[in-house]
Amino acid sequence: MATQLPPGIRLETVDDRIMTLNVGPQHPGSGHMRLIIKVDGDYIVSCDPDPGYVHRGEEKMAEYRNYIQNIPHLERPVIHDSSNILYPYCLAVEELLGIEVPERAKYIRVIAAELNRCIYILYWLAIYGIFLGHSTMFMWPAGDRELFIDLLEAMSGARVTHAYLVPGGVRNDLPANFEERCLRQVDYLEKRLKEYLAVFYKNPILISRTEGTGILSRTDAIRLGTTGSVLRASGVNFDIRKKEPYDVYENLDFETVVMKEGDSYARSYVPYLEMFESCRIIRDAIRKMPKSGSVRTKLKPNPKGGNDEVYKRVESGRGALGYYIVSNNRPEPYRVKISVGSFRNLICMPYLLKGELLGNMPAVYWSLNYWPVEADR
Amino acid sequence: MSTAGGIIRALNSGVKHLAIRRFTLRYPEQKLKFVGDGFQFNPETGVGIAGLRGRHILYHEHCTGCQLCSVACEGIAEAIGMVKVNETWKQNKKAIMPQIDYGKCVFCGLCVDACPFYALYMTNDYELSSFTKSALIYTPAQLAIKPRISQDVEIKIDDRGAAHG
Repeated sequence: MATQLPPGIRLETVDDRIMTLNVGPQHPGSGHMRLIIKVDGDYIVSCDPDPGYVHRGEEKMAEYRNYIQNIPHLERPVIHDSSNILYPYCLAVEELLGIEVPERAKYIRVIAAELNRCIYILYWLAIYGIFLGHSTMFMWPAGDRELFIDLLEAMSGARVTHAYLVPGGVRNDLPANFEERCLRQVDYLEKRLKEYLAVFYKNPILISRTEGTGILSRTDAIRLGTTGSVLRASGVNFDIRKKEPYDVYENLDFETVVMKEGDSYARSYVPYLEMFESCRIIRDAIRKMPKSGSVRTKLKPNPKGGNDEVYKRVESGRGALGYYIVSNNRPEPYRVKISVGSFRNLICMPYLLKGELLGNMPAVYWSLNYWPVEADR
Repeated sequence: MSTAGGIIRALNSGVKHLAIRRFTLRYPEQKLKFVGDGFQFNPETGVGIAGLRGRHILYHEHCTGCQLCSVACEGIAEAIGMVKVNETWKQNKKAIMPQIDYGKCVFCGLCVDACPFYALYMTNDYELSSFTKSALIYTPAQLAIKPRISQDVEIKIDDRGAAHG
């Protein structure tokens, strides 16, 4: 007998062989989101990601605060990449208010952003390691991350949520002897990163689990609109630091890391190689940075943006991160739209997981360089 | 590279770490040294002085009760409220000074940027835990106390690796 169902609800006819699994939202392997996975035996038939469990309304909150008061809460979505998530906001507000940034401040911002990128990638690598059952790869990056956190603490005064970048420059100048200390710790990190090769990346167990799983072809990567390391692991040479250089990136010497394979291994290897490029950028920026000078252009109290709109994007640890800000002659922005890399990379998950073993799900899922809190904003 | 060889190499690179000093900071016994005396503001350059953003310190002799720190905190944490004090300062006719609720403070330091009289700075004191919520509300008298700091451990990096102390 066909009963009348309430509107919006439909019955699903499911094969007896197919079982539905809810991975998350409280499962440690899913990270604040739910994956509705249908399995046939051990093979995934379909995967439906269900984000939104950590939605905080950052965009709406930004409409009630002025351009400076927005800084502390806008960096909350990715607290260990907080310089990079503030970077496009600062660039956008600077264009909106017509502020010039001092040359030294531009270099300091690049150093802060690259240190933060390393911190993010090491944290992500630690999680990737522990979800593949490799507890050494959890301990080592989590420990080595501490060195860069100490550097940013010396720069900004906070371990995470630095609130260091502001429209018009940075909050404070570098402390004394920062350059030497930074170079010493960057050298040490590079030495440590080389040790990761034998224990993790050249480890046959990791290779057998990740090589050839979740292959994303070059055309699919472009068609699905992925960004960041996922796009570069599929053989697309796209890095906003190269294609649309902001601040002083065009003066700095670095390469874009591109791999052709497009599998989980390549997606996890590209961020690792990018850390070496970040170290190169930091060294180059310290060499080219003006040794003294102003670091912040003072804003008027409660600055008003005109009737204008602006879009700025940067390359964050997870890919392109953009801010679209509309202002209407008021101290608060009229609308702030944050476009994040995590959400763009999430969309290829159903395509990648189809036909994979259920045991390979964490390897594919975390190789997407995905951060649930950022995707939900 | 053969599978067995790769596993042996992986184990070997981990085993090497048995001989290396451990990196972990043993926190309550050891405390990390920070640069400077906390986040402060330099009136000459108009920007902050690098330092840890910990608990605030309030200089009663500079505070005029202008409430700009409280205004700056509105919409961020709303941790700063202005309270009456039983002190007479000639620059502070209203005799009001900030009181900070550390249950709400996010330590962004924008109140330090906002203070035009350099009365509110931040210190290296970050151990603010308490058993009650009310003990986290620091009155102007408590904020005036200079914290006693014993942070002296630094990271040492040599050929054998990095270690604390």
